[in-house]
Amino acid sequence: MIQAQQLNKHFKIYETKKGFIGSFASLLSTKHHVVKAVDDISFSVEEGEFVGYIGPNGAGKSTTIKMLSGILHLTSGEIKVGGLSPQKKRKEVAKKIGIVFGQRTQLWWDLPLRDSFDILKEMYKVPDEKYRQFLKLYDDMLQIGKFMDTPVRKLSLGQRMRGDLAAAMIHNPDILFLDEPTIGLDVNAKTSIRAFLKELNQNEKKTILLTTHDMDDIELLCSRVIVINHGQIVLDGTLEDLRKNIGLPSVMEIQYRVKPTTTDIRLEGIERMTWEDEKLVIDYDRSLLSSPLLLQKVTQWGEPVDIQMKEPDIEQVIQKIY
Amino acid sequence: MNLYLKLLSGSLRSRMQYKMNFLVSSLSYGLIMAVDFVLLAAILQRFDDVKGWNLYEVGLLYGISSVAITLYRVFCVEVHNFERYMVEGEFDSLLIRPVSPLSLLLTKNLDLSRIGGTIQGIIILVISIIGLKLNNIELFLLLIYLPVTIVSGVLICFSLGLITATIAFWTQRIKDFQTFTLYAPFNAANYPMNIYPGWLKIIFFTVIPVGFMNYTPILFLLNKGGDLWNLALPPLVSIIFLFVALRFWKFGIRHYHSTGS
Repeated sequence: MIQAQQLNKHFKIYETKKGFIGSFASLLSTKHHVVKAVDDISFSVEEGEFVGYIGPNGAGKSTTIKMLSGILHLTSGEIKVGGLSPQKKRKEVAKKIGIVFGQRTQLWWDLPLRDSFDILKEMYKVPDEKYRQFLKLYDDMLQIGKFMDTPVRKLSLGQRMRGDLAAAMIHNPDILFLDEPTIGLDVNAKTSIRAFLKELNQNEKKTILLTTHDMDDIELLCSRVIVINHGQIVLDGTLEDLRKNIGLPSVMEIQYRVKPTTTDIRLEGIERMTWEDEKLVIDYDRSLLSSPLLLQKVTQWGEPVDIQMKEPDIEQVIQKIY
Repeated sequence: MNLYLKLLSGSLRSRMQYKMNFLVSSLSYGLIMAVDFVLLAAILQRFDDVKGWNLYEVGLLYGISSVAITLYRVFCVEVHNFERYMVEGEFDSLLIRPVSPLSLLLTKNLDLSRIGGTIQGIIILVISIIGLKLNNIELFLLLIYLPVTIVSGVLICFSLGLITATIAFWTQRIKDFQTFTLYAPFNAANYPMNIYPGWLKIIFFTVIPVGFMNYTPILFLLNKGGDLWNLALPPLVSIIFLFVALRFWKFGIRHYHSTGS
């Protein structure tokens, strides 16, 4: 469904100066440095795959998605999405793909959700019958019926994201590009969106490429993971491959009433322990050391006032791949 | 076509959500334009004419250019304010649709508050035409040609706006450029071109061809010089200029950088 061969995207960063003369000068100036946002990336995605595309901020994730969807032109390389080049056949490719940017809604901000759908129906020339089926199906799956007549700007972030997801599916595309669809959502909203994406992938056989900063998204949804850093692929494999590389990284924070005297503790699975006054932060690997066991240990060392489990940042996870 | 109407009605309804803002801005814009012309009239009354152009003749130029410019401001508001799409990275949203980004821009919004300026321009046109006391043939010719010159004017304004917007693909910001490529030439087009120094005239008849929107045809229609070419040039120039602007726009899109997410 998606083929990317030796993709390169280099940005020339010109020095910009202030004011009219300055901006005119920077227009003509040749002073620049080249940033390789995407540096010789190749991969292909088969029909029905659910691929997690992860990496730290600025790794080139969004740039890749923008090239795959035809928003950006390539410096070099070749892309085929559904057999077509998104750069040469942007409009045809646009009909085959659905895109969601978590950070930016594609809906008409001041209009009710229904109106956005009506406009998109017209834009993608969806037949009336198909459109009715769509509304029915997506009301079942995402419960968008409740807020169909509310202006988008008045929706909660979770509702808006459900609206955005439905809007991306209005023309029933085979391929979905999701750029951080769960960003900023609460646990409930995340759960319902994950359930929806899983259903799309398993029942409707949609091919999905997802970028995220949330490790749970990856673990619960993706059959395959591509990790990118500094514009290059550092890992392309199954969730199992990722596990082998990084284990199940977890973080536990324990606030003690008094700092324990025995702080020199060695346990298989603990990767790092840092003290901040009475607070202990433990980075550990859940595949080697179970959380209940660790909990039991930390209560033996002293009297905890508060214990918190935290998800590791994707940045920390990627550090481990090297 | 259906899509176009859907998009337009959508943008109108969005606009109407903020009624007070709409009323206040149309009122203030109309007022600014009126004060502008009253000032010009006052100056003309004092000096009788500007380099051989009397009040009504200048009024004719002023009326045509202000109708053309305000129509551009009404229909091409998103092209005019294109900077926002670059700075906030919103241009992405236009490129994911199976429709050309330019048609999406043109249907995204109408700035109805500028309609006040158009109406005021028409009023000035009517007053000027009555004041000119033309004979029947002259009047007939002028009325026939008026729509042509206004459409040419809108196309020239649109092309200038589009070229300026395209610059944003490289510079991100275009507010500074607009002063020189749009506001100053638009203002200059309100008055007869012969009042400007030679180098400025050359600019207004070449790279920023606002001289063609009203001065060239009116010169001939008011028997002030020129020949039939003066009537043929405005539509010709505007179509060629539009073509150039569209090519430049297409070229610019290839250089679109987007922003970080």
